[in-house]
Order: sequence, then structure tokens, then C-alpha cells
Amino acid sequence: MEQSFDLPDSTDWLGTPLSLLAPLESSLRCQVCKDFFDTPVITSCSHTFCSLCIRRCLSTEGKCPTCRSGDQELKLRRNWLVQEILEAFKNARESALTLAKKEAARIAAGDNGAPETVPKKRKVSQVDNTEATDIVQGSPQRVRTRSRSQMAQAQAQTDGQDRSRPSSFQEVIEDSQDEDFIPGSALVTQDQLQDQLKIQFRQSNRHSGMLNPTAIRGFKSNSSYSRLLQVQSRQPPISPSKPLDRLPAMNYSLLKDIQLRKKFRDLGIPDWGPRQLLQRRHTEWMNLWNANCDSTFPKTKKDLLRELDIWERTQGGFAPTQSSLMPTNTVMAKDFDAAQWSVNHETDFKRLIANARKKSDDQVRSTIPGAAQSSVSNTAGVDNSAQPASGVERSAPIEINSDSPAPGDISR
Amino acid sequence: MASSVAQKRLFHEYKNLSTNPPEGITAGPVSEDDMFYWEALIEGPGGTPFEGGVFAAELKFPKDYPLSPPTMKFVGGGVWHPNVYPNGTVCISILHPPGDDPNHYEHASERWSPIQSVEKILISVMSMLAEPNDESPANVEAAKMWRERRAEYEQKVRDEVRKGLGL
Repeated sequence: MEQSFDLPDSTDWLGTPLSLLAPLESSLRCQVCKDFFDTPVITSCSHTFCSLCIRRCLSTEGKCPTCRSGDQELKLRRNWLVQEILEAFKNARESALTLAKKEAARIAAGDNGAPETVPKKRKVSQVDNTEATDIVQGSPQRVRTRSRSQMAQAQAQTDGQDRSRPSSFQEVIEDSQDEDFIPGSALVTQDQLQDQLKIQFRQSNRHSGMLNPTAIRGFKSNSSYSRLLQVQSRQPPISPSKPLDRLPAMNYSLLKDIQLRKKFRDLGIPDWGPRQLLQRRHTEWMNLWNANCDSTFPKTKKDLLRELDIWERTQGGFAPTQSSLMPTNTVMAKDFDAAQWSVNHETDFKRLIANARKKSDDQVRSTIPGAAQSSVSNTAGVDNSAQPASGVERSAPIEINSDSPAPGDISR
Repeated sequence: MASSVAQKRLFHEYKNLSTNPPEGITAGPVSEDDMFYWEALIEGPGGTPFEGGVFAAELKFPKDYPLSPPTMKFVGGGVWHPNVYPNGTVCISILHPPGDDPNHYEHASERWSPIQSVEKILISVMSMLAEPNDESPANVEAAKMWRERRAEYEQKVRDEVRKGLGL
């Protein structure tokens, strides 16, 4: 396998001074694919997944993987805020991680030189400032010279808006160890606050698809903000010029094989294979297609066909057969193949039959008087220890306590 | 070979488990060429007859993982437990897909969902070792013994553990 083991992961932060970022990164990852959210959408029950992941789940189970309440594809909505937070985090990730690892290496090397606790965050924020936006013109030093009351005032003014402000790179890299540093908010002056509100207003317009992107570029403001706006306007307009048409679900049972295959040819996807495979392929195609319709950067049909081909080779008609690997839980699947099952489990069945025969033989023997007696004395001996836990606990050693019956408790 | 969603996700889980393993649990693919076949080692939970034992199990993942759950089977025998089939296959609700419940005893909330993980399965199995569920036993003999002859059950488990350690 080509894939290298250094797949970016939330555990990358562990063992660095920024280990507290691990849970943050983990919450920016889809619980289904464990990757960063790709086109995050929110369900009716307010859980967020990649558009494609949740579509695949819903087309198999019809339920939200997190809370198991029923949901439908049509009710999925984009989760823009998560997307923005994620973009900001991804922009900051590499440089922050590099610094964090350097710092970890330095600490490991036993270099306890002077600047230990103070600069690590500042270094990070400097990198972010140069790289992403200059939201903060003033250096952290300047902030610290302000009086506390001023800071509190500024905070109070910004408090309401600050929480909903789209992406502050400062906050992403905030380190909880440094307590007298007030993130972002304290740095915003009144003028900046005004601008901020304008931007917010415009951004909310953008989300409802009203804003012409050229308006952003023409928007006058001080230099730091125009840079921020450039970053924002690099994204293409949210609603593409011609919106992609979503594929409707197909009622397979209403279609004969010939009709179904014709539809496949119309769609431009492979039309070979047995009916069950056709249905699975179409479901996958529908999921790929519709998830792509959600995407800010839609792929071409060619790319989607390539993805369908990967599916074909890993899960579809070209997937390596794995008869013995087939999980036992296929018992519960709709497409249970009884013949295959009995072939796979022939030895188990034989063993069970043998056991059953042996047992019925035993029973026959135990009805014979002499044998019966021994079996009675056996059960009598059993009865002593068969008392419910309360009885056992008094007479038996401690270990039994921990084993007191708690049915239904095992698998949370 | 093109890497599927399942492979990528399993890589994530593998990395997560090896960087940040839960106590008493080790797991990973037998070979990185086949992400769908894992081996796991679970320590017997303390304060139970399984204490001191180390139990090896194999995990097999379906191609549509995580939509469908993996299967888990103790290898090398010797797990005498109401929820483990005599052949070693583990039978707990987290390994059962939601949907029809043939046993009519499991809550849907306990069963497999794509947000579950290998880590959660192994933790569940550890807690299963400590607290058997005898409502729908996989090993009827073990369940009967556990219910009716607890001392004998525990002795048998301890013997198996010792045997498993080669003592």
C-alpha cells in the first residue's frame, strides 16, 4: 500500500506543548471517515458530517450515525461556519504543528534556555499573522500596556459579536496556559469594530447568495481589513453560475432490468452486473453526485467517475472476494445468501450437530436410574453456589463481588 | 490498489490507537498491506477472574466499513465466557448492525454505528469480560455455569488464563 503512515491526525499534537489542540482538531474531523470535514452538512438532529459520508450512511440506514434518529438526504443543509473554522484551522495547522514539534524537540533535548513559556504562542501568532491576515496590527506587547479597564471595555463591546465572528486566526492558536492574554477581542478598536460588523453583514449576505464578489473587492477599508477581504474573496462565489442538478432517488422495484440499464447508460455510468450490484452502484453514484452538488469546489464528472471506479474496485463488482472474511453479521443483512453461508460454516454446523447428538445421548443415559442419581447429586452441589449474588458474597472471597450480575450492562 | 474510504479510516484508527492507546489494549493490522485484517491484544480486566490474562483476538473488517461493523474472534481459544462462542467469536451488541434485531433484546443505541470505532469495540469487550450479559448467551454452557455455579466458572476462567500464559 502506498499510503504512508504519516496521515495527518489529531494525535499529531500529542506530545507537543500544544497537545490541547488535539481535541479541537478531532472535533473538526468527521466521525465517519475521521478526515477533516469535506463539505460539512448538518442533519435535522444537528449533527455534522461530510456530505458524502452522511449520504452513504443515510442510504444504508436512514439514520443519523450519532443519535440514530431518522433523517433524509433532502433535509441536509450546509454547515458554513464549520467549513470556515476548518479552513482557518487548516491554514494554521502546518506552521503551528511545525513550531510545536520544534518546541517539543527542544524541550526533549533538555534545552531549558530562557524563553520557555512566554514565546511559544507568540511565535505561532506571528507566523499566522504574516501568513493569513493581519487582523491584529498591534503587537501583543502593545496590548499588554493597555489598562485593564480599557481591555474589559473593549471586550464588553465586542463580546456579543465576537462569538459569531467567522474566523479569527488568533483564537485558533490560543494557548490556555497563558491567562492574561485576551484573544482577538481586546485588540479590536472601535473603528475596527465597525468594519468588522460591516464584514459580518456582508458575509451573511454572501451566505444567502446575495453578494456580488466584486463588491467585496471594491469595499473600502483600512489596509489590514482589505487584506482580510482579499483572503475571503479568493473563494469563489458560493452559488455557482449554473447550479448542478441533483439526482433523484430511483425506485428500483418499478424498473425492469432493461430500463434500469438504459438509465445507467443515460447517466453515463457502467451498466453491467447483476441487479443488486446495479442498485448499489446507482446509490453510490447518487451519493457521489449529490455530495458534489453541495461542494464549494465541485468536481468534474470525470473525477466522479474515477471515484465510482475506486468504489467498483474496493466495494463493487471488481472488489476482491472475501468469502471467509465475510462478517458473521450478514445474517442480519437484507442480501443474506443462505447457500454461501452454509458453505462457509459447514464445519460449525457439523460440530453443532455432533454436540447436539452427544447431548441427547447424555439425556437418554441420565434417565437410566443409576445415572440419574449422579446427575441429581450434581445439581444439588450446583445449587449451593447458584444462590444469587447476595448469598454468594457472604461466603465467598471478594472477587465475586466485582462479578455480581449486571445484565444488559456490557456493551455501552 | 486504490485506497477506499474504509482503508483510510482504518489508517486513522490505527494511527490513533498506536499513538494514544487505551490502557490494556493494543491493536493494529497484521500487515499494512491488508488494512482489513487486524490483531488485538486485550488485558484481562483487574478484579475479575480474567485478571493477569492477555487475550489475542482477530478483527476482520468488511469492505464497506464503517457502515458495517467488523467481526471479532478470540484466537488461541481459552476464553470461557457467556458472550464468546466456543470458537472464539465475540457476540456483543456493539458488533451488531442496527436494524432488525433477531434476538429482540438489544437496544438500537447499543449497536454498531459508523461513529463507533475499534477502540470502542475493544473497550466494550473488556467491560464484557468483567460483566457478562447472560440474556442471550453465545456460549450456553458458560452462561449456565456463570449463573448457577459462579465459583466453578471463575475457577475455570482462572485455569484457562493460566493455561493461556503457559503456566
